[in-house]
Amino acid sequence: MSILHTRRVEKSFQEGRETISVLRGIDFNVERGEIVSLEGPSGSGKTTFLSILGCILTPTSGEVVIEGNAVSEKSLADIRKRSLGFVFQQFNLFPSLTAIENVEYALNVKGLRNKDARIEAQRVIEAVGLGDRQNFLPRDLSGGQKQRVAIARALAGTAPILLADEPTANLDSQVGTQVLEMFRALAKQENRALVIVTHDPKVRTIADRVVKIQDGALV
Amino acid sequence: MSVDLATKSLLHDKLRFFITVSGVAFAVTLVFVQVGLFLGLMDNASLTIDQIDADLWVTSRNTPNVDFAHAFPETYVKRVRSTPGVARADNLIVWFMNVNLPSGAIEGTEVYALESFAHWNFPQGVVEGDLADLRRGPYMVLDDSAKKRWGHFAPGDYREVLGRRLKIIGRTVDAKSFTTTPLTFMDYRLAQSLNESDLRGNTTYILVKLAPGADAEAVRAEITKRLPYNDVFTKREWAERSRTYWIDSTGLGLNMYITVFLGCLVGIVVVAQTLYTSTMEHIREFGTVKAIGGGNGDIYRILGKQAMIAAIAGFALGALQAFALRPVMAKIDLKLIIPMELYVLVLLGAIALCLSAAVISFRKVATIDPALVFRT
Repeated sequence: MSILHTRRVEKSFQEGRETISVLRGIDFNVERGEIVSLEGPSGSGKTTFLSILGCILTPTSGEVVIEGNAVSEKSLADIRKRSLGFVFQQFNLFPSLTAIENVEYALNVKGLRNKDARIEAQRVIEAVGLGDRQNFLPRDLSGGQKQRVAIARALAGTAPILLADEPTANLDSQVGTQVLEMFRALAKQENRALVIVTHDPKVRTIADRVVKIQDGALV
Repeated sequence: MSVDLATKSLLHDKLRFFITVSGVAFAVTLVFVQVGLFLGLMDNASLTIDQIDADLWVTSRNTPNVDFAHAFPETYVKRVRSTPGVARADNLIVWFMNVNLPSGAIEGTEVYALESFAHWNFPQGVVEGDLADLRRGPYMVLDDSAKKRWGHFAPGDYREVLGRRLKIIGRTVDAKSFTTTPLTFMDYRLAQSLNESDLRGNTTYILVKLAPGADAEAVRAEITKRLPYNDVFTKREWAERSRTYWIDSTGLGLNMYITVFLGCLVGIVVVAQTLYTSTMEHIREFGTVKAIGGGNGDIYRILGKQAMIAAIAGFALGALQAFALRPVMAKIDLKLIIPMELYVLVLLGAIALCLSAAVISFRKVATIDPALVFRT
């Protein structure tokens, strides 16, 4: 059974008097534990689609169902909190928090606090191989290490769906490969679904399935 | 314990934090100094009334304040003494007189003259000499504040008051009037003899001590009946009237309110500006908070806590500065009175100021699109 699926998702934006159609009736589904690479050229609508999958944007029409529940405007923040983990191209770590605090804070937002949050943060930070760097601020970490912290943050908790936006774009080739392999291993190990939006052909090597998007439609 | 993003983020940029705190501290110091000086001046305006142990004051009609006294017949005191409920009533002269200094200069002094100072527990800061000796001859006791204008003096010296040589037999400290004219204490009859044209057979006030259990309002009503052309005030009313006169006639109150307002305005602008700039610089972080499941409430809490920290740190620094200014002010004869109530009020004001400054950032945060986290 799919953990995430969309039915005829459309998204359009108003630009002045003109309506720009970005997504045109996308049907998409992801199974629990599955890794999907979502590829497409710039302007194809993949980041908009990821935003809709991530409950950050709502579709103009169509339906998004996550863990069996249809997403509504009111449930967006709650679903993000409960079911989703994000990894961003720019890492988006909090510069004033150490690596482990970045993870712990995300858990706090999701409702896990005190010792439980610290234990879970410790677990994932060690899982991404940063146990010895856990008290470093982001400015003292390399790009690859920052992305590992971001992955740890996404993995922290029990969110069954992980969404990654160009996770290797700011990493060199070797580090990018290492990060992807680690990401795949951890997602598989914990049976999490992983959708990666990317330009990077390396992502194909870790994906169970490759989906292409062009001009707002899957091809 | 949860991760304290608000505090860590605020302290991460130490320079910005310092600027924010300085803005609050500036406002707090300004409020403390302005209000403290105002209270100090007002304290001087009614200091002698507060010190004199009288329950009621009989004054000439419409006397505006304790310093600007007018004479009336001293025999009125007999009517007061015979009023039921009065334990003691004495005449008090408060009068400005000229003093010829050894240098040839002429200075003013404000004379307080009583037959018995001891009965009225006044003045309270006697540091040298005995007030009881004033009745023994042409003597006077001077307040040390006179040294600034009269030059050095010591008991045993003589000064010429309205053409008559008087011996200084003692000193007081902290006996002041709003006018800053130095206070001199002398015997009641001596004061009358120095200015016979105005004071012969006259007094300027009658001090009244009530008998134990006497009803102040009833006694006041009876005295008013017996002295229909005078005013009778309770101690509190008279002190208030004296202070109000200076507030109204000098614009001192308005000046204080305007400065306090401007101080708060500067504080609020500095805090609002730095908080808003900080919010804009951290907009991506706030977007991330939303993307990972946080709501506006989580971000409001961060901004609110940062505003509170800035308020408390700014208050502490501002209060410390004001406290450090007290001895400096004292050196130039300015009294900075900062009561505990003012500390509490200013702390609450600083918190309110910072929270209002944060409202602008709240409005910005409410419009954050979490999709910005995907932008490069």
